[in-house]
Amino acid sequence: MNAPNEIRAMLVESATRLFADHVDAGMLEAAKRDGWSAALWAVMESAELPRVSVPEEAGGAGGTLSDLAAVLRVAGRYAAPVPFVETALLGNWLLAGAGLELPRGPLAVLPGAPLSGQRSGDGWAVSGKRGRVPWARIAARLVGLAEADGELLVVVVDPAACLIAPGRNLAGEPRDEVTLHHVPALLAAPASAGVTARTLRQRAALGRALLMAGALERALELSIGYAQQRVQFGRPIAQFQAIQQELARAAGEVAAAVAAALSAAGAVEQRGEALFEVAAAKIRTADAAREVTLIAHQVHGAIGVTDEYPLHHSTLRLWAWRDEDGNEAEWSIALGREVQRLSAEGLWPLGLAFQAQH
Amino acid sequence: MFFENVDFSSLEVPAAAQALREEVCTFLQAEAAAGTFTPQVGHAEFSAEFTRKVAARGWIGMTWPRRYGGHERSYLERFVVTEEMLASAAPCAAHWFGDRQIGPSLLRHGSEKLKERYLPAIARGECYFALGMSEPNSGSDLASVRTRAERVAGGWRVTGQKVWTSWAHKAHAFFVLCRTSPDTGNRHEGLSQLIVELNAPGVTVRPILFMNGYHHFNEVFLDNVFVPDDRVVGEIGQGWKQVTSELALERSGPERYMITFPLLVELIRRLGQAADVRAQEWVGRLTARFWTLRRMALAIALTLERGSGSDGGAQQATVDLATEAALVKDMGTFYEREITDAARLLAGVEPDPGAHDAFERYLAEAIVYAPISTLRGGTTQVLRTLIARRLLGPRP
Repeated sequence: MNAPNEIRAMLVESATRLFADHVDAGMLEAAKRDGWSAALWAVMESAELPRVSVPEEAGGAGGTLSDLAAVLRVAGRYAAPVPFVETALLGNWLLAGAGLELPRGPLAVLPGAPLSGQRSGDGWAVSGKRGRVPWARIAARLVGLAEADGELLVVVVDPAACLIAPGRNLAGEPRDEVTLHHVPALLAAPASAGVTARTLRQRAALGRALLMAGALERALELSIGYAQQRVQFGRPIAQFQAIQQELARAAGEVAAAVAAALSAAGAVEQRGEALFEVAAAKIRTADAAREVTLIAHQVHGAIGVTDEYPLHHSTLRLWAWRDEDGNEAEWSIALGREVQRLSAEGLWPLGLAFQAQH
Repeated sequence: MFFENVDFSSLEVPAAAQALREEVCTFLQAEAAAGTFTPQVGHAEFSAEFTRKVAARGWIGMTWPRRYGGHERSYLERFVVTEEMLASAAPCAAHWFGDRQIGPSLLRHGSEKLKERYLPAIARGECYFALGMSEPNSGSDLASVRTRAERVAGGWRVTGQKVWTSWAHKAHAFFVLCRTSPDTGNRHEGLSQLIVELNAPGVTVRPILFMNGYHHFNEVFLDNVFVPDDRVVGEIGQGWKQVTSELALERSGPERYMITFPLLVELIRRLGQAADVRAQEWVGRLTARFWTLRRMALAIALTLERGSGSDGGAQQATVDLATEAALVKDMGTFYEREITDAARLLAGVEPDPGAHDAFERYLAEAIVYAPISTLRGGTTQVLRTLIARRLLGPRP
């Protein structure tokens, strides 16, 4: 094993300890009410987790995107109720690339097409409306792309200057409607090369896939543990082949989801744009979510659907996340078009098609 | 939980292997164009001529030591060659078993004499092997085999019956799993592996036709067949351990998810630029699932590669990855049917085994082949039991 892997293994170990120590049933319940956990975020910030993959010259830890991906998977496993993807994978990437200072506090990122920007005094003001913006109402700052004078800018705005209508996803995570009406940009700078609405969306989908990989692992772990404890017909239900076969099938789905999400992270790290791999990862994790959530709930029986038992922290998130940043149908069509473009001759050898693009 | 030591983010086929891929591709296109073979989806055809040509290129026994006729290339290079053979539905049946299972097994367990007798001939594409595992009353429950070997002067006398022995009617020899000492309660003890040459007195091979009339299966009767001591593979009594590690190898490669891949490629060709949203969605999903299976298979190949450095390392890697291999095979064999279903429903043609169009013929072949993929090399249910054991730990 080479050195970067050892560093990553240590990072994963310390992140796992951090989440294990700080995420518990009480916190997750409180987060349903508050929308998130400020306390967990504070611990993560002091451990510099949101800056894992930010270059050292921009004030980060200088890790790779794959390092961050490994930690996001852990966050997904613990259902960490914080804007980790939005801050670490999206916001800080946009800001560091544009040479802007990274603010403290959680970030939300405005998705979709760039906002419209106008000159306003010495700076810029931005306008637009975006629905289902993750974490907007608890964010310290909103980050987005804006088009102004034919140029693509990265802009930072104060959420207090926006109109925010609260919304939520199935797991109670904030998904808000944000209206910006000539809101002054606190910071603005040209986006770096390779930053577009398209690559931003790919990264968002990658982040969601990584969280899903972790949530899938947790759903499987809970199911294995429960099957070994629950006694029916005089023995733990894990001893029944009918249960074993379902757990094995779930394990395959989880392994595939993890492989796909981590592989896609590697592709984005190497090439920036990786439609093929990101689409594949979002599709595969969503497919796995469908199968694994059904199996996990079936193995758990009725206790699994209750508010007091922790399975729903994972399954509700999986049902929410699979539809966020593009569901598996949308990404399948995008990937199908890409294959159509490559044509039968271009598709195989896949090794060439997968690795030689861009 | 799985693939613990694999870094998926940096998992790549080395650039050097791409040149090899192109070489194999060019070779296969030329052979298909020359009519050496007709691609066939499902059961790989048996062609001694093709196998000798592949051997001449150095693509059999690629990872084996040179002194046994091997080429000391990497597992990933072998992976690339295997992928290309499968993508072209090439007729590899004559060397498939020898290259994938017999060779590695002999390298691990075989005596010097056995290695010298068989490995160079397999690598030259001149010696073909089959596998004698299943019996009429031993399918998934392989440890219940009844074929028995009795000790005689200078060797063993083997009597019993093997079944589903693919290509026994064309192979030179086969590995026979048999009982060399009575069942004493631990069913996994007392089993051994012997090499029986199929022209030996007392061996009778009878065809079992597949449901489409195709002949690759056989039943093999062994009537007091003499097997000299030096044809024992590994140690007497260690047959179970040896055979399970072979099965792990059988399960780990692209051949467990790529059999119907040529149908997917033909489907994409047929849809062409006319693909509608429905077709795009289906093709996109199939591509995503293929890519993921390939990433997992590559992870296994890479782990074998790493393990191959030290003596016995590859064996350890195989043991460690037995569950991962089972996972890939389980999902891969179902994936193969997803391609078939998509092709059937998107193209809307009736399956025609006599079709001139490659896509239509592949479709017919893939439908008939489908049931066997989830049976051979471990049924779905056996694989899932094995996976569950890893999840749940040993039974208390």
